[in-house]
Amino acid sequence: MRTSSPYRANLLGLAFMTPAMVLLLGFFFLPVVLTSVFAFTNMSTATGISGGSYVVTGNLLRSLTDEGLDAKTIKALRQSSYIIDQAGLEKARTAGVDAKFITEIGERLKDRSFTSSSAFERELKTLPSRPTRVRDLKIAASAFEQSVLNVRYASRGEMEAALSHMLENPPQGAVEQIATASYTGWTWTTENFKNLVIAPDTWRIVGNTVFYVVLTLAFNVLVGLFLAITTFYLPSAGSGFFSILWLLPRITPVVLYAVMWKWFTWEDGFVFNIAQDLGLPAFNYMKGSVASAWTVVILVNGFVGASFGMILFSGALKAIPVQQLWASEVDGASRWQQIRYIILPHMRWPILFVTSYQTLSLLSSYEQIWLTTNGGPGSTTTVWALEAFKTALNNYTGNLQYGLGAAMALILVAVGLVLSIVYLRLFRFDEMMSKPKIEF
Amino acid sequence: MTRNFAAWPIILLLTVLSLPLFVMYLFLLVDTFSNTAPGSLLPNEFTLEHWRFLIDPTITGDVWKPTLTTFLFASSMMVIVVSVSATAGYALSRLALPFRRFVLSGIMVMHAFPSVTLIIGVFLVLQFAGLYNSLTGVILVKASLMLPFGIWIMKGFYDAVPWEIEMAGVQDGASRFTVWRRIILPQVKPGLLSLALFAFIDGWSEYMLPRILAPSSDFEVLSMYLNTVSDPNSSTYNFNIFKSVGLFYTLPVLALFVLFQNRLMNIFGGGTKG
Repeated sequence: MRTSSPYRANLLGLAFMTPAMVLLLGFFFLPVVLTSVFAFTNMSTATGISGGSYVVTGNLLRSLTDEGLDAKTIKALRQSSYIIDQAGLEKARTAGVDAKFITEIGERLKDRSFTSSSAFERELKTLPSRPTRVRDLKIAASAFEQSVLNVRYASRGEMEAALSHMLENPPQGAVEQIATASYTGWTWTTENFKNLVIAPDTWRIVGNTVFYVVLTLAFNVLVGLFLAITTFYLPSAGSGFFSILWLLPRITPVVLYAVMWKWFTWEDGFVFNIAQDLGLPAFNYMKGSVASAWTVVILVNGFVGASFGMILFSGALKAIPVQQLWASEVDGASRWQQIRYIILPHMRWPILFVTSYQTLSLLSSYEQIWLTTNGGPGSTTTVWALEAFKTALNNYTGNLQYGLGAAMALILVAVGLVLSIVYLRLFRFDEMMSKPKIEF
Repeated sequence: MTRNFAAWPIILLLTVLSLPLFVMYLFLLVDTFSNTAPGSLLPNEFTLEHWRFLIDPTITGDVWKPTLTTFLFASSMMVIVVSVSATAGYALSRLALPFRRFVLSGIMVMHAFPSVTLIIGVFLVLQFAGLYNSLTGVILVKASLMLPFGIWIMKGFYDAVPWEIEMAGVQDGASRFTVWRRIILPQVKPGLLSLALFAFIDGWSEYMLPRILAPSSDFEVLSMYLNTVSDPNSSTYNFNIFKSVGLFYTLPVLALFVLFQNRLMNIFGGGTKG
């Protein structure tokens, strides 16, 4: 069918796709790229995000001493010197120093330099129009002070120039070494990944994550399956009530859901009061002990996820030809036999689907844990995604390590990508790809 | 089907399993209208005092400003998601685009991909774009993260529209745009409505993105407001008040859900996004 030019439709396609493409590139593709790029940097709050500057600080000099830079150079860096140049004269003028005095300094001392303030001030005192007050003299002197200590240089070139200016005959390579060390911005590194492999915490968190995913997933699938099958057999009034009840956690905003669990398990909460009345140990179950914290974490996530399984399994159950069930009843099958030999075999694909889908979302989810136990007590319920998030964006010390966090997230992104591609291969991918039937 | 089994053991088992949920939601409702003596489980008096936060800003701070912000946030995000998905979904479903297969599989992967792992990257993008700490930035991020889902859903609805309708329109000399605007779009109205509802509810419930991407801005959405109110360390901490605030916050979502249950279940089932 060709009734108008192919051009127009392509233009329409372009116009229709552009907004989506821009947003997806900006907030999906670019974040993936940035995560992978910055995983190889030491970017943190201290280094800033948009590049840094070059500063020699007292701390830096100490660590340079430790690295074996010679003492003479360090001493020279600590000192300030006084150089009479145009910039200094300008500075003195703005500082309000007497104009005549400045002209005199410019004429008589031009391009001289002094290594200490006392020597410079002695020289100044010999000038005819020197100020009478010592304070004014010091102000004038300070305008010519030059030091690299705690001065911010925008580029490496400026820093090196300043260093060469300050140091007479620096040792081979010293200027470069100091300039490199004085950089405050982030640099490229593979340390993040090395540190992750070495740190014992990493493996504990991996263990936690596996534990969390496996148990929550088991809860989701088993309870989802149980709910779907029981509500399938129950009269519709009862099944309707239970389906709605189990759907509620999914609809409830996550903050409220977390808060309700707090009420349920917190000190003076519901379970606390009941346990107290019964003489059982009553404490803050969410944070009080490792076992209870894990139970809460798994239940909090399990109750949300179970409805996902329930919806999908219920849908699949309704698709089973009801004649099969009738026939089995005629043959005298019990309910259990019906479930075992008719329903469960039909559920194979839905179970596989829920399992792979939930694995993916459990691996990456941390919102509920963050809002309930927050990984505690200690870091016993901390999972990988939560740790990455905390490292990069949310911790109490205030030094956010974007680089390390990105490295941790990158591992999740890679796992997520591989798993999502695998599960798209498994489930109905090609049938979604049918070609348009109008060829323009 | 015959009843060759006793229903009560199953109902009992279901009830035991559902007990935590039942208790939590029951008390969420009951506690907002009643007082309970300390140490006791059952309420002993009816009261409306826990709802005074609606008119008295001294209790938990003004609640109406965050409500308005949340509404703005959810609806602008909804508008972006629906309009962008409606166009892109059509293009992917019906137009002969170059790289169509590639784009489509890309969107499928993004749809399956857990977008929360991107939060650090998104944070960096906003920093570079200068949108960090702004409502606009959070809306754009939230809408974009939902786009693969929206496009996917809309493509499904477009796919279900018979080709014959479109071909008839083209035969009569209408441009593809006119056909889309006048003939196809009315056909997918149910899809647009479901997506809009879903997007609105999702935006209304969002907590993490505003909290992380705009931590020190001057706007506050209800989820952040609720989290502040329910912080055990805060001075106004009170189970009954935060339940009232929570219920107030959740009511629109529940109402929408009750009204449009079937449409939403359609999306829950068909969209299969966790």
